[in-house]
Amino acid sequence: MNGFSRHLPWMVTATAALGLALVVFFPPEPPGPMKLEEFGKIPVVDGGRIKPLDTLARNTLLVISNRQYFVDNKDESQPAIRWLLDVMTSLMQQKGSPAEQHKVFRIEHSQLLELLGLKPRPGSWRYAIGEFSDKLDELDKEANRAQKLDPKQRDLFDTKVLELAQHLQLYIELAKLRTPLAVPPESQGQEWQPLIMAMFDMKQNGTQNPAAAALGKILIAYANGEAGEFNRLVASYRQLINDRMPQVAPKADFEAFFNRVEPFYLCSLLYVLVALLACVSWVAYAEPLNRSAFWLTVLTVIVHTWALGARMYIQGRPPVTNLYSSAVFIGWGCVLMGLVLEAIYKNSVGNLLAGVTGALTLVIAHNLAAGGDTLEMMQAVLDTNFWLATHVTCVTIGYAATFLAGFLGMVLILRGLLTPTLDREAYKTLGSMIYGIVCFATFFSFTGTVLGGIWADQSWGRFWGWDPKENGALIIVLWNALILHARWGGMVQQRGMAVLAVFGNIVTAWSWFGVNMLGVGLHSYGFMSGAVFWLLAFVGSQLALIGLGLIPMRHWRSVVNPSFASA
Amino acid sequence: MANLSIAPPSQPAGAVPRSEKPPRRERAIHQLLAPLASLRLTVVLFVLAIFIVLAGTLAQIDAGIWSVVKQYFRSALVWIPLQIFFPRTMSVPGSFPFPGGWLIGGLLLINLLAAHVLRFKLSWRRSGILLIHAGLIVMMVSELVTGLFAVEAKMSIAQGETVNFTDESQHIELALTHPVDSQTDDEVVIPGALLRKPGLIQNEQLPVDVEVLEFMKNSSLARVPEGETGADIYTTKDGSRYRIVDRSEEKGVDPDQREDAAAVRIRIRKKGTDQVLGTFLVSLWMYPNFTFRQIQFPPQHFQLDGQEYAVELRFRREYKPYRLHLIKFDHSNYIGTDKPRNFSSRVRLQDDERHEDREVLIYMNEPLRYAGHTFYQSGYFPDDSGTVLQVVRNPGWLMPYVSCVMVALGMIVHFGMHLVKFLRRRMA
Repeated sequence: MNGFSRHLPWMVTATAALGLALVVFFPPEPPGPMKLEEFGKIPVVDGGRIKPLDTLARNTLLVISNRQYFVDNKDESQPAIRWLLDVMTSLMQQKGSPAEQHKVFRIEHSQLLELLGLKPRPGSWRYAIGEFSDKLDELDKEANRAQKLDPKQRDLFDTKVLELAQHLQLYIELAKLRTPLAVPPESQGQEWQPLIMAMFDMKQNGTQNPAAAALGKILIAYANGEAGEFNRLVASYRQLINDRMPQVAPKADFEAFFNRVEPFYLCSLLYVLVALLACVSWVAYAEPLNRSAFWLTVLTVIVHTWALGARMYIQGRPPVTNLYSSAVFIGWGCVLMGLVLEAIYKNSVGNLLAGVTGALTLVIAHNLAAGGDTLEMMQAVLDTNFWLATHVTCVTIGYAATFLAGFLGMVLILRGLLTPTLDREAYKTLGSMIYGIVCFATFFSFTGTVLGGIWADQSWGRFWGWDPKENGALIIVLWNALILHARWGGMVQQRGMAVLAVFGNIVTAWSWFGVNMLGVGLHSYGFMSGAVFWLLAFVGSQLALIGLGLIPMRHWRSVVNPSFASA
Repeated sequence: MANLSIAPPSQPAGAVPRSEKPPRRERAIHQLLAPLASLRLTVVLFVLAIFIVLAGTLAQIDAGIWSVVKQYFRSALVWIPLQIFFPRTMSVPGSFPFPGGWLIGGLLLINLLAAHVLRFKLSWRRSGILLIHAGLIVMMVSELVTGLFAVEAKMSIAQGETVNFTDESQHIELALTHPVDSQTDDEVVIPGALLRKPGLIQNEQLPVDVEVLEFMKNSSLARVPEGETGADIYTTKDGSRYRIVDRSEEKGVDPDQREDAAAVRIRIRKKGTDQVLGTFLVSLWMYPNFTFRQIQFPPQHFQLDGQEYAVELRFRREYKPYRLHLIKFDHSNYIGTDKPRNFSSRVRLQDDERHEDREVLIYMNEPLRYAGHTFYQSGYFPDDSGTVLQVVRNPGWLMPYVSCVMVALGMIVHFGMHLVKFLRRRMA
């Protein structure tokens, strides 16, 4: 038993580290003799930045299929890059292209399925273009009609029709080799250009373009199934790029590597494990499990931090640039704060927080990624600048801390009400944890909000404009200040603070997501579209918790327990 | 419950012990200030503040940001319609009064000052709180100063053009202009406030009487197909035909934040008579700067005593003693997209009074500060033929910076002291 408690923490951590190393250093063998992943490292330009083809393939599939791989007709998962190659070569194939048989277009709306003459395919909802190619005229007609409507007048069917039309457009652009800008400039002052244009140029004007010619040969080799030739051509093309653009190529390699490792996905798995360990530690083997959870969190947060750094390196931007990265960053902040709490209190509450918030925020981020490239370029006005970078970082930490205080409040309420485990000491400790985190949240949300004002003043001369996003941030600051003043005035004690902190979750969710929904959400979809539904569900759950927290304490299981009074 | 309470990490602010009995006058002040200084009032005011900010956000679903700011935040009292809390598909009548932003802010200020007079003695232990609160006072005052005195305007300059005035985009005016000689125009303007209600406008400085027939807060420009005829159709210089149509105010939550294009229908009459010189519908759509010079209508005219007068509805114009000449506007996109990456304007600033004549480069986050005004790169004409600068005068612009430093420092001191104390206790 003694040896077990001593060795468990490092054994757990080492096992996890080993698992990570396996994923990182031993990529799965690709099916077939062609080195598709090497092809995926080729840099191209799309969406305003240089990225490897692998990223383009994954993001495009994510947009049209809502996942980064596809399932072939033999029910086997295939990498996105194979789909991209099939699409890019679809016009070279003599007899029916395989790309037309890949079931990748996600279509769920029943009216739209009917229009296309498709049978509902519950579970997958994915269709191949070959299954509805005879109905494209009808789709085109509907899309043209919907396009002419004022966006606010469109109903769900119109929106879905337009969505599918856009997805098909993406497909066609790729198939016709008009996207991406695949051919690098031949000389200074030239621009990247689409493969089809470069090829056309060569044919018409007889210009020499070795890169375009090489890319064309790679595609032909793929279309003809000549694996050896394909691999040789890809290797020599990458050599060519490497010689011509020594800075670009390694970055594209790195991004492809980053895509393959999927560090945020790995982190979310590990965070779930952390949360489980923390929960079990309250029932049995408290000490060793607790320490295992702590060190596992440390390991995970290292990966998480590396991944954040990797994104910053690829994009050359501060960590928070859009909703997706804000979720990743909030998770990171929560986990770090959980670690600090755990280091101070050693009661596994910090571990639980780290695990739950880390996993949850990464799941939210994963769902936010469906829009495509999460490393998208930003409008000029959002260009990097010291104030903006510090503003988003501070504000996101403030959001994270407010959430964390709310989750602590949740732990206090649920543990006290439903279990006998919350003794007097733990009750007080949780109270002072909430207090500390709320102080932290006040500081960062205030500073972050003001820094945002300073940035706005620097950029267009208006420190504060009362727009919805600013107001959301202001409400968070006010709410945190309210909790602190209620505490200082003795209006609330531990439990009251817990209840207020849980309400803070609603306030933060509102600022983070709610204000983004005001413009479109309430108009075009009515109240029940996806994101609005989840927001409302979250608000409902938090209100229920507040209700539970307001149940008089004499009914709490922990308070009834004699140990609570006597301690 | 009472037996559960432990001493909060900070002593309740009201519980500073007083060793000796205060003199009578002090006690009277104490009694008067006590309710004003209470933390309960602070918390209540926070709740009210949160509510008004929330309501002011929701109201932006239906109304423009500036009218909301005026009604909800820069006001003492606001009638909040119940409708804003419900989906717009439901129709909910009724409204209720609520303290506006300035009232709540003022009360918070009183509460804060009273608390300091009453409770807080100058001491190192309280220095953090003092700093935070002083900083917050600066912040609140700065919002008041901004609300009262800040002016935001725009300056549109085409390449090669020299401009000496700004457009205050939150205000409009009706201008009657007639040329005096080739260099100068004579102009009389009617402020927008007078145009909002139908009625007759007479003034000795006006060469004519102006009767307002109809005012539109916002209007849209609808393309008219070939062959169609009807009222309110106007032809641009390049022959396109448009109709001016009444339209509801642009909403604060709209992602593309368009400005309202006010329009007014007026009848011009010879001074003191019923003789009509012309009836016009003038809209901001006809003001070239409103459309970034993309749509150009010929000016609308009437004749008076053999002289030609132009009628124009435009943003309130402020003439400056200096002028800007746009030498070159530059604009670059991210490769392969039309997402702007950067824009910049090289301008020549000339001021005869102050003998200034220099070239300045204005670009993202690098404004020009001159004569109490700040010029920011804000936009550009769609064909890159000119630049739009945001011109701001805010006497309180420095205050938020000061406030931010004070509050952040105060929080570090205050929470830091707690943290050190707390960690020491845990170590012990």
